[in-house]
Amino acid sequence: MKYEIRYKPAFATAFLTLGPGESMTAEAGAMASMDGQLSMTTQLSGGLIQALLRKFLGGESLFVNVFKNQTSQPLQVVLTQPTVGDIEVLELKSGDEICFQPGAYIAHTTGIKMGVQWAGFASWFAGEGLFKLKLGGPGMVLFGAYGGVNKRRVNGELVVDNGHLVAYSPNIRMSIGLSGGVFGSITSGEGFINRLSGTGVIYLQSRSIDGLVRFLRPKVR
Amino acid sequence: MKVEFLHQPDSAIAHIQMDPQEEIVAEAGSMVAMSGFIQASTTLRQGKGGGVFGGLKRVLAGESLFLSVFRSGGGSGEIYLAPKLMGDIVSYQLSGIELVVQSTGYMASTSGVDIDLGFQGLKSIFSGESIFWLTVSGSGLVLLSAFGGIYEIEVKGEYVVDTGHIVAFERTLDFSITKAGSSWIGAFLGGEGLVARFRGHGRLFCQTHNPGAFGQRVGSRLPARS
Repeated sequence: MKYEIRYKPAFATAFLTLGPGESMTAEAGAMASMDGQLSMTTQLSGGLIQALLRKFLGGESLFVNVFKNQTSQPLQVVLTQPTVGDIEVLELKSGDEICFQPGAYIAHTTGIKMGVQWAGFASWFAGEGLFKLKLGGPGMVLFGAYGGVNKRRVNGELVVDNGHLVAYSPNIRMSIGLSGGVFGSITSGEGFINRLSGTGVIYLQSRSIDGLVRFLRPKVR
Repeated sequence: MKVEFLHQPDSAIAHIQMDPQEEIVAEAGSMVAMSGFIQASTTLRQGKGGGVFGGLKRVLAGESLFLSVFRSGGGSGEIYLAPKLMGDIVSYQLSGIELVVQSTGYMASTSGVDIDLGFQGLKSIFSGESIFWLTVSGSGLVLLSAFGGIYEIEVKGEYVVDTGHIVAFERTLDFSITKAGSSWIGAFLGGEGLVARFRGHGRLFCQTHNPGAFGQRVGSRLPARS
């Protein structure tokens, strides 16, 4: 599979070319356009139980779409995300795993295993579900962000605004709480903070939908 | 007339140099700045696609009732036009082929271009997007705007587009609203819903982002309008 991310970073969009016999899986609704001969089927994402966990306890969609090239020439599919911002491509080796915050996942190639990871009750209270989407290699994974994407290594402890967190290694522990107590959080406008610990990689987005909503909410009449 | 686009693709704005006795029609509200002597008037355009009925039809299509007309008169001047959403602008030169424009994709056109509401029949009602499309014909330049980048597809054979990503397409293309996959159940559960399947030979303009999807992502978290 060949890919090109165009219109980076504000309106990043993935133009993928599938060779004969190749297939890939994408989030429901991610397809903007595609060649007419490409076949698309809708499937439960990773078995019924996992799909149900994702949907009702993880805030992700129940279904994914599988695109398959059954012709003998290369075919194109264009994938995008609802928010404006950048798209990143991860090459996962066998054994590599990555967890996504709700809404970040866009697509993956065959070979990638899609599952769920327990995220904890604090995540539930933060409105992000008990389970997070987890993808394991080998293969390629596409995810999107609102704004630009910063990759950062975590070694020890790091505090992040939860609305800016997009993806993280599964061995990073998360502890979601309010920054500076309930009163402080409400007055300062900081949302949920997430105290990360462990060793691994995280991806942060430079803007957050929470922030946009907080800006717009008082202006709605 | 000379048209140039600045700040492409994310914040595109059109800068137009007008010669004497020229005319530009634009979506109401799109004028950012212009030379002082350019005459602006609001029109319910006469002729095809004009008049009160034409204006009402444009409202149904999600466009404003009024179009603004800018006339350079005796001098040569300049005007800046910009769409509401972040994104790109492209120009399309009409040459005998009619262009079908998704109602929010129209930004401006030169005189000699007719704008009409093209009923694409019942099939577009089920698409979940605006029911109406504008049919643009005649001769001249049309400026199209989009949410995000605009990519052009030279359709030969068959091409599928999510209805929220269509900006415009040439009338030489035939399209049907259909399911993207092989099963109807999948079409609704899979989130792609219905798509437009284009057939034939012609140019198709798509936008990288779906304004409705972004609106839903943010709007679903805003308080209800009282």
